[in-house]
Amino acid sequence: MKRKILSVLIALTMVATLCFTMTACGDKESSGGDGDKTLTVWIHNDEDSWTKSYESIADNYMKENEGVKINFESFPYDEYETKIQTALMSDEGGADVYELWGGWGVDFAPSGALAQVPEDMEKEIRDEAYECTYGALENDGKLYGIPLEFNIECGGLVVNKNILNEAGVSVPKTWDELVDAAQKLTRTEGKEMTVKGFDFVNWDGVMYLFTSMILSQGGQYLNDDGTFNFTSKEAKTAFKELADLVQVKKVTNMAGLDDGSDIEGYQELYAGQAAMVPRGPWVIAEGINDFELEYGKDFSYEKMPFYSDKKAFAAETGWSMGVSSSISEEQQELAFDFLNYFFSDDVIMSHNLACGQIPAKKKVAQSEDYVKEFPYAKPLVGILDGAQFIGFFNTDVFKENVNDVFSAYISGKYSSVDAALKKLEKKCNKMTEKK
Amino acid sequence: MIRSNKKFLLLVLIPIFAETLIFLIIPILGTMGISFMDYNPLGHTNSFAGWDNYRKLLEDENFIIALRNTLVFTIFAVAINIVISLSAATMISQLRSNKTRSFFRMMFFMPCMAPMVASAVVWGRSILNTKVGLINEVVRDMGGTGVAWTGDPDYVMISVIIFTLWADLGYNIILFSAGIDGIPGEVYEAAAIDGAGPVRKFFSVTLPLLGRTTTFVVLMTLISYFQMFAQFSVLLYKDGPQNSGLVLTSYIYKTAFVNKDMGYAAAISVILFLMILIVSLVQRKLGKVEWEY
Repeated sequence: MKRKILSVLIALTMVATLCFTMTACGDKESSGGDGDKTLTVWIHNDEDSWTKSYESIADNYMKENEGVKINFESFPYDEYETKIQTALMSDEGGADVYELWGGWGVDFAPSGALAQVPEDMEKEIRDEAYECTYGALENDGKLYGIPLEFNIECGGLVVNKNILNEAGVSVPKTWDELVDAAQKLTRTEGKEMTVKGFDFVNWDGVMYLFTSMILSQGGQYLNDDGTFNFTSKEAKTAFKELADLVQVKKVTNMAGLDDGSDIEGYQELYAGQAAMVPRGPWVIAEGINDFELEYGKDFSYEKMPFYSDKKAFAAETGWSMGVSSSISEEQQELAFDFLNYFFSDDVIMSHNLACGQIPAKKKVAQSEDYVKEFPYAKPLVGILDGAQFIGFFNTDVFKENVNDVFSAYISGKYSSVDAALKKLEKKCNKMTEKK
Repeated sequence: MIRSNKKFLLLVLIPIFAETLIFLIIPILGTMGISFMDYNPLGHTNSFAGWDNYRKLLEDENFIIALRNTLVFTIFAVAINIVISLSAATMISQLRSNKTRSFFRMMFFMPCMAPMVASAVVWGRSILNTKVGLINEVVRDMGGTGVAWTGDPDYVMISVIIFTLWADLGYNIILFSAGIDGIPGEVYEAAAIDGAGPVRKFFSVTLPLLGRTTTFVVLMTLISYFQMFAQFSVLLYKDGPQNSGLVLTSYIYKTAFVNKDMGYAAAISVILFLMILIVSLVQRKLGKVEWEY
């Protein structure tokens, strides 16, 4: 009898443990205490300055709106997208407001997981922001997020001034000067390239430069029906020019895509191993803070010459904010009120300055105050009107396709530029075709 | 008495059955179900796609590359692993001193104690790195030219296999050692009386009597290597140049979370599941032994 009771007790304990474990995985308690309204905001936390800016903006909003509490929960970027997806998949838990990378908007906006931006706010965004900054947040003519920044990776050139000065080379103003300078600045020892003259070969760089070169010649890489076109004269010229920079003029090599490390060209530039690298202004802070270089003396950020007459380039939607559609209407109203506050000129400018971002809002980007506070943006603010929204597709896959074909062409896997570009066109069209 | 024991057994087994059902069987069935849908986890409407996701597999060159890489990695890594770990376990078992045997087992087992991700980071940054990696430093000191171990498509798989063997050999050495230790000494004594040398003893006594252990080790290593993900994800930058390091597990992750095509990712998962299932069944059938000692 004793043994029987013991058996039952053990079994009950085990079942209870299992039940406890399972319920512990359940949804979290909904936010908000008595009388208080609470907003939970998810952000990525790789940059301290960004987190501080979010918190400071929230503090000011809370001061102006008594009874509202904003809680930030932050995650490392590497796991942030998966985290958001998992949260949005579930109608419970997660956050009220999400900081979103624009590229994810292509998947999130049509999914119904994000709430539609109210009409008055949508009008303000369409009137005041650059189109490419919210292109990925649109679906069926409606908007599902607010843009925080203008993501720009083309148009600016990080320059190692020490290398240029040693070689007696001045900052190039035209494409021909750029190629000429790159050849003069490249150094090799035996088979090893010790200084890359112009290192555009990285995950983002090849795609951005390639598309910009097509647009700069007056061409297009997208047809009116949204399919890709890489067989145009402009695309062939651009691809050949990029390949020649690696194979013939030898101003860089394929290490940025092929050497297996995650060290980027601009980091090599800061380490004295590259002279000129096209990149967004976000890399400047790393040069000053991590590499302890002096801006203006050791390196500078310059205008990158365009390949041809037009100052045109493709840009993808950058960091944005979206509201979960699964929260109550009242909560959505509060969330959009906070985002409306965030999007006001002064607030968004303070955030862009704190994060080293180019503003999504035209008025802010072109204001004297902004350029005065963030002089590194000077080479870029004049060309923002030349930006074209990259297209409503997964830009990670697009970059992967361009890089794969470029890398395979350089290693001799295609007999001609035509063959490589036909393959690229096929791959990209497959990426967007509907099942 | 027997009946109450049975009841007790049933009761204590309920939690593990429940766990298996909830966390294993239902997800597997769910994955199979999702593989027939055009499924975006974020979408509120996910349509039925029939066999479309499976048809797509046949035309998808990335899937073919991932399948080929997975098979190459698994076949070579498992074969080399078994040969080295069995040889090492046999050699260790020849040592007379218990302390020396334990020392060598511990040395081989040490890399297994470190998390695979952490080891992969160290190898990627310090050993296989093209510019400052230990291997290339040695090659350059000897007058050679450095190789992009994780960047050259010709070396990617070799690098990953070498790392995996370093990180994973210890488990199998311990298992084989336990198997060898379980073989009765009398059998070896009888073989010695019959004039068998060390090589003959290995092939005629150790190897046949290790049948069950070998079946288990091969099966578990195969299953584990088919599912390897961490080292491909950490050692290689974006699946290696021209997808030379793309394996089925990384392709599943990429399809599901980068391309957001969960239905298609589920179809690839089902294929991987079936591959492992078939290999396991064949292996069990071939490895069946009717004897005991």
